[in-house]
Amino acid sequence: MKNLNLILAGVFFTLAASFGGLLLSGQVQLGQLNRAPAEEGGPLFPAKEPGLAIQGRQVYISLGCVACHTQQVRPAGQGNDIARGWAARPSVARDYILQSQVLIGSHRLGPDLVNYGARVKSDDELHTYLRTSVAGSVMPAYGFLYTQSKDGSFRPTEDAVALVAYLKSLKIDYSSPEAKLKQ
Amino acid sequence: MTDPHSSNNHSQRSSHDGSEGSSDSRLVEAHSQLAKNKEEPSEGFSSLPIVIVFLFCGFGFWAGVYLTRNAGGFSANSFDLDAPRLVADSGPKAFEPDLAKGQALFIQQCSACHQATGLGVPGAFPPLAGSPWPLGNDERIIKIVLAGLAGEIEVKGTKYNGNMPNIGAGLKDAQVANIVSYVRSAWGNNAEAVTDVKVAEVRKAIGGRAQYSPKEILEAHPLETK
Amino acid sequence: MSQEHSSSRSSVSRIDASVSLPVRLFIISSILWLLVASVLSLIVALKLQVPSFLSDCAWFTYGRLEVLQRNAFIYGWASNALFALNLWIMSSLARFELKSSWLPVLGGLVWNLTLTYGLIQVLLGQLNGFALLEMPKEVAPAMVVAFLFAALWPAVAFARRPTGNVFVSQWYIIGATFVFPVITVVAQLMLLWCPTLGVMQALVHSWFYQNLILLWLGGSALSAIYYFIAKESGRTISAYYLATVGFWTYFLFASWTGPATLLGAPIPVWLQSVGVVAALMMLVPIVITAVNFFGTLAPRSGIAQSWNNTTLRFVLVGTVSFIVSALLSVVFSTRSLNALVRFTEFTQAQEHLAVYSFVSMVIFGAAYYILPRLTGSFWPSAKLVHLHFWASTLGSLLFVVAGLNHGWAAHGRTDFAVSALPGLVAAALLFVGHFAFALNAFGMLTAEEAPSSRRSY
Repeated sequence: MKNLNLILAGVFFTLAASFGGLLLSGQVQLGQLNRAPAEEGGPLFPAKEPGLAIQGRQVYISLGCVACHTQQVRPAGQGNDIARGWAARPSVARDYILQSQVLIGSHRLGPDLVNYGARVKSDDELHTYLRTSVAGSVMPAYGFLYTQSKDGSFRPTEDAVALVAYLKSLKIDYSSPEAKLKQ
Repeated sequence: MTDPHSSNNHSQRSSHDGSEGSSDSRLVEAHSQLAKNKEEPSEGFSSLPIVIVFLFCGFGFWAGVYLTRNAGGFSANSFDLDAPRLVADSGPKAFEPDLAKGQALFIQQCSACHQATGLGVPGAFPPLAGSPWPLGNDERIIKIVLAGLAGEIEVKGTKYNGNMPNIGAGLKDAQVANIVSYVRSAWGNNAEAVTDVKVAEVRKAIGGRAQYSPKEILEAHPLETK
Repeated sequence: MSQEHSSSRSSVSRIDASVSLPVRLFIISSILWLLVASVLSLIVALKLQVPSFLSDCAWFTYGRLEVLQRNAFIYGWASNALFALNLWIMSSLARFELKSSWLPVLGGLVWNLTLTYGLIQVLLGQLNGFALLEMPKEVAPAMVVAFLFAALWPAVAFARRPTGNVFVSQWYIIGATFVFPVITVVAQLMLLWCPTLGVMQALVHSWFYQNLILLWLGGSALSAIYYFIAKESGRTISAYYLATVGFWTYFLFASWTGPATLLGAPIPVWLQSVGVVAALMMLVPIVITAVNFFGTLAPRSGIAQSWNNTTLRFVLVGTVSFIVSALLSVVFSTRSLNALVRFTEFTQAQEHLAVYSFVSMVIFGAAYYILPRLTGSFWPSAKLVHLHFWASTLGSLLFVVAGLNHGWAAHGRTDFAVSALPGLVAAALLFVGHFAFALNAFGMLTAEEAPSSRRSY
């Protein structure tokens, strides 16, 4: 314990061990995941994201939505996510393979959004939420995403349109080989 | 404000002046001495190291047990610890023979003698198509595939003096089940499929035995007459 | 108070004088960042209480300000301060005189300028979704280079020390300094420059995050705890032979705990279980450090004596927080308990316990020790020291207890009721404490510039 090189080598080994054990083996197992059909010959899931949704993800990231919203549903035995009706099945690794940045989040001041696109009713409803927030919620109103025209109606900016397209694209309403939807 | 801790700070400060270097050296020196004499001489025998060693062994043991129980078989597809238990609750999954795999395996393992047509080579290798041997009681055919058959037999009026090796001994239960199910359903044969569980049972029952003689196998499982 | 002692001002030791410039730079920048972070955390806490506050502009959304606050706190305050601590402690222990101080000064300047640039970009909306990696990707290479210039010197000091003897603090400093650039480079490469597929990103991020908090921040702070307990109490560390085991097990297990922060996430369960095992194995270094610290201080009413010593009082709070926070993360890494508190204020409180009550309190204690030796003068006001101690201690206690309580109460509920008031009060208390600290520190640093206090060697 007196030799600098020895200490550095030891610390390097501890980091390398965890890097290999967690990240490399994780990469071996998860690095090659492909889209899969829910049933034989069916369409492949997760579905390709619309271009507008890809732009919307940048808006989501840039407004820091991940500070309060997660995008992961835990298995029924671990937490009450499914009981809260956020999704019908737990999320699995395959659901995320098309996302350029994975935003599973770590803190909830609002509902989980991994299946939000399947829960929300219409674009208009979502625009109203964003513009005025919901009574009693800690979510602020994102009024700056909208412009008011002369007749008093509100028009969404490009960012708002993209954000709504992104939120509507968030769906895990299909069976994946690792987690089937309950029949 | 009378302030003991600030005055203490000041006294520390003045005692420290000019002697800082030596005091840091003393600190390092004293601890290096401690590191050299592993035991602390003043305390005599200390139980601390032993307690800690036992504690660490306990942790290590627990870690092993925990990992074997909660690792989901180190599978990339296991995301829910409760999932395997739920599957077990719904009963074991029925074995579905895969005839395509069975055919592929048959071509690979059996068709050199019995031919891909199942007709064999008259006088040299007995046919399987239309033969009573693979049909009826499935234990007969499973035993022959697993252990082999050597001796004179008669199939559809032709005599054969063959020597079939224990092909199935090197195959998995499911593979044997697929081959046998294929043979029992191909070329106009019509007998029910066999399961991997059945193959496993038979394999266990016969152990690593030598080839059957025709007499022995027919005594155990006589050919069914149509 | 400074007047009555000004006559007794003494010379600054040669070693302290040699590192004085970079250490000052690091401490001054860290205090400025601490003030920035305190203001930001006040605003963030206020926004939870009054959601419409400052919500009319994209720049000041909760999400962006929270990112700013976290980065200013970790990279601006804690990291700058740890540069100073590591350099000062190591050169004292290794009897090292820094020959040319312009390299660490350059590193410190680049570090702070890069951080400023990165945070402005975040404010303008150029950010990523990974905690503590939010700044744009071009920032990272500059920060790694700046880190090497700023933080390499402890290793140089260690390599060139005149005697062969070492003290446990030195291992921790070397280890912590080595960890930061490695994990930053790996995480930046695997997350921003050539992103890995899907949830691998979450896994990489958890590895980076735990290593950053536990090894870079925690490891450096542990080194300071060992140093100041031995130094200020004048005692030798009890059961010192265990410290080696403590050091190696700390580094070995801490770097595996990443997946324990992802329980229930869509990564294979075996990875999660490995993380849980590593989190529990952290008990080994915790037990050892606890035996070292309290075995040293507990006999002969050492705790009471420490309470009367400014530095040790802060360090003591930091040490207790370290042990409590480590034990909490062990207990709440078990799956059933974790399922209850995950995603709630509970985990926020746990994190505050680690980076504030543990790391930052140790840094405060160290600053109260180091700055007088660097400037050759005394802290201008003992009242402000008291105010700082109590405001910081009570503020973080309030934050932690309220967060733990709220997070625990949130399980099973389906609403998101946030009790923002305790957080707001805590943020205000912390702000008051930090302001008192800054006032005192800048008072001392500027008073020393007066001609009457010219040092003579």
